[in-house]
Amino acid sequence: MTTGTPVKSVGVELQESSDDARMVIEAIQRDNADVVVSYLPGLVKVQSPGELVIRRETVEELLGRPWETHEFQLVIVSYYGHIGEWDDDQIVIKWDH
Amino acid sequence: MEYELRQQVIEPRRHTFQHLIDRYGDKPASRYEEGSIDVQPTENFHYRPLWDPEHELYDETYSALRLDDPYTYRDPRQYYYATYVTARAGLHDAFGKTVDYLGQRDLLSRMPQEWQKLLGDLVLPLRHYESGGQLLSVNGARFAYGTTVEQCLTYAAFDRIGNAQMLSRVGITLGEGTAELLVSAKKSWIENPALQGLRRLIEELLVEQDWAVQTIGLDLADRMLYPLLYQHLDEAALLGGAGAYSLVGQHFGTWFTDHRRWLDALITAWLNDPVHADNNRRELDAIVARWLPQAQAAVADLADAVDALVDAGAKDAVARSTAELTATLTGAGLTVGGKA
Amino acid sequence: MSKKLSMQQRYAALTRDLDWTPDYVDPAKVFPLTSFEGIKVHDWSAWSDPFRLTVDTYHKYQAEKDKRLYAVIDGFAQGQGHLSLSDAQYLNAMKLFIQGVTPLEYAAHRHFAQLARHFDGPGPRFAALCQSIDELRHTQTEVHTLSQYNKYYGGMHSNWKMFDRVWYLSVPKSYFEDAMSAGPFESLIAISFSFEYLLTNLLFVPFMSGASFNGDLPSMTFGFSAQSDESRHMTLGLEAIKFLLEQDEANVPIIQAWIDKWFWRGYRLVALIAQMIDYMLPKKVMSWKESFELYFEEQMLNGLFKDLEFYGIRPPMHVQQAIEEKEILSHQVAWTLYQFSFAAGFNTTVPDEEHQAWLREQYPDTFDKLFAPQWAKAKKIQEEGGRFFFQGLPQLCQVCQVPMLFTEVGDPETICQRQVVYEDERYDFCSDGCQWVFEREPEKYVQAWLPVHQIYQGVCGGPSVPEVLAWYGLQEGDSGEYIGSLDHKDWLAWHATAPVGS
Repeated sequence: MTTGTPVKSVGVELQESSDDARMVIEAIQRDNADVVVSYLPGLVKVQSPGELVIRRETVEELLGRPWETHEFQLVIVSYYGHIGEWDDDQIVIKWDH
Repeated sequence: MEYELRQQVIEPRRHTFQHLIDRYGDKPASRYEEGSIDVQPTENFHYRPLWDPEHELYDETYSALRLDDPYTYRDPRQYYYATYVTARAGLHDAFGKTVDYLGQRDLLSRMPQEWQKLLGDLVLPLRHYESGGQLLSVNGARFAYGTTVEQCLTYAAFDRIGNAQMLSRVGITLGEGTAELLVSAKKSWIENPALQGLRRLIEELLVEQDWAVQTIGLDLADRMLYPLLYQHLDEAALLGGAGAYSLVGQHFGTWFTDHRRWLDALITAWLNDPVHADNNRRELDAIVARWLPQAQAAVADLADAVDALVDAGAKDAVARSTAELTATLTGAGLTVGGKA
Repeated sequence: MSKKLSMQQRYAALTRDLDWTPDYVDPAKVFPLTSFEGIKVHDWSAWSDPFRLTVDTYHKYQAEKDKRLYAVIDGFAQGQGHLSLSDAQYLNAMKLFIQGVTPLEYAAHRHFAQLARHFDGPGPRFAALCQSIDELRHTQTEVHTLSQYNKYYGGMHSNWKMFDRVWYLSVPKSYFEDAMSAGPFESLIAISFSFEYLLTNLLFVPFMSGASFNGDLPSMTFGFSAQSDESRHMTLGLEAIKFLLEQDEANVPIIQAWIDKWFWRGYRLVALIAQMIDYMLPKKVMSWKESFELYFEEQMLNGLFKDLEFYGIRPPMHVQQAIEEKEILSHQVAWTLYQFSFAAGFNTTVPDEEHQAWLREQYPDTFDKLFAPQWAKAKKIQEEGGRFFFQGLPQLCQVCQVPMLFTEVGDPETICQRQVVYEDERYDFCSDGCQWVFEREPEKYVQAWLPVHQIYQGVCGGPSVPEVLAWYGLQEGDSGEYIGSLDHKDWLAWHATAPVGS
């Protein structure tokens, strides 16, 4: 059991298999300072202390095409934390309390 | 070298699942069959429901209408999830293009005033009718016996909420991007005398216990309402310079044709069941006797209000579709209004 | 030109304002199920759904997901992909999956239809409706994925019948029926919160990663594709619990008791998964212990439950026992299944040297001391031409229905047995947790259809093992030892004739 972590982390697990997923992961790395990325077969785990943001603009820039935040559903496998916000511009995962 | 391995001919041990082999022989089965036939649990239930200790979790007696073997019923469309969502993705995509086009050209707000009023005051409120239809259908999705039947009700429930949302999008477009018309349409649903028959019908069906009564009660109303709004008025709109109404209506007409196929097949299955046919016929007669007059009167009230706005002969159209429906039902062997 | 509504406004307009208060009938009769559990809801409109999915968007993305998935399934089947699995033994995990997990998807499909009818609030109702139809998707995509294996291997052909009848499958069946027969709020905590949020990652993620690692591309694809829906379902679970806790303080103790109950029920259910992860995958991804630490201890106990403290919620009762058991759980269950696999729909065998070395590495404190000797004994019997099977049928716990195989906390060599006498009948339990669950609602758990009791009562095809197995729908080769089984022989034959180096 991991103890003594000062900030509770949140995270997402994404499919590894597509270009879109790779770009989403890169966007997450760009927009969140201290993410830890690790790999399991077929799967990428992304963890971030406190909060994790996925920004539409960053993903669009990396993909070179329009990207709706709904498209995140095509790559997400799981998450932990609380989806505090999911709107046109960004998805925010964090704990509330 | 991968290629040579794949060249190897391996005889399969069986071509499909055992329950399908038992029914249809050992041959490849369709995805519809593998995903639907014999899926629902049938025995050895552990606990009686706290909310209904008289029944098992899955129980044929949730309805008075029965099939000896529920899997004699099959959806003629053979929808399983993937084919269903693919079909509906197409419907909603086409509808979205229509609505976007109507919005870009302001075609809804260029319709004659009376057609705008008809759409806003009388058709838009039916998003609540559809929402009620969702509740009625999803109850069947839980309580119908057998996967082939409940699966149709599941899709119907999802369709209903989809229809409600399609109507909402029309309202948002007609309201020039705002939700204002949805607010007034809700008021109309609650207060407009022309819609109270339909609202009352939905509410009374919601407190019915038997999912089949709910399903058929709703269907009887649909079978007069949909032809009125999306066939008869579709044509009247074209003549009345309200082509935009027709552009919207076509999608609901397309949906309704698709939707009714599974219901006709279900009624046929009930009436031809080797064990329960006679009982089913009596029950269906009773449902028709109880709900058809009320549904007919409710749709007729709406038709009166339509005629007051656009004088489209709506009342006569309802009379004709009632006669047609009666003929179809008696043709199937039911008794309607004392006539077999 | 029309203004564009934001995702949030559009969602609200399209989904949230469809309800009205009935006045031609009594509104309480329209929603009769949401009052008897004692849960108080003052304002359903406070429910928030972050996904803001509308029907058109739903169909668009789900159709796209299925297009991708079925392309993988078809391609794999056309290329005889089953021959490139790591080993035919791998499919024992998938047999257990189609027998024990796929029917749960179906149960969830039906149950969420009821919730989609009965919640008073349109927000949770729509979320439940989406979940209901999603779960039908999972049922069918799992069947369609595994259909190609069913043609060439045993154990999958009669999964629905087996779910209703076979002894170890009454573990998942009774779990879900317990939830379905409860009230709508309890069942939401049971399925959406406990199962989907607390435990689902433990079940699916290592498992689907395992599928990928073992060459089972279609199962990996359906698994991950299903999980993308699952993330919506997890959200429903978390939203539900926060919403109910925020609505009224009086809800807190009710919810706490449900968390306590359903954590324990769910944890006992995933015991089957624990052994699947450690013993059924020829190529290992992570151990049960490691995934329990990551997905449960770190993410749930250190994350979620810290968050829920705010509402006065504490970690589930009996959680300490689960933590304690992480070193022994999978081994005890695997050993039990090894002994009783003569009556199961999958094959078992003694883990080989390489496998045991991995177990030793993962479980340095327990494997050599407690479990390696058992496997050594079984191996010796097998080398002498025998096969160690338990003679007779296992005694089952009245609540979780797992055979009584668990040990006392801190004493992994003494089987834990608890007993309660209720209305002059004696009932047995595997643990304090299950006894506690029973004592809350004895009138419910005495109803349980305990497979072994039923066999003794003679209603399961007859008194002899072959009669019972026939009644289960099992066929030649489905059960017992893997070495020399039909699947094993076929696998060797198919690969013996393949060109070297393919």
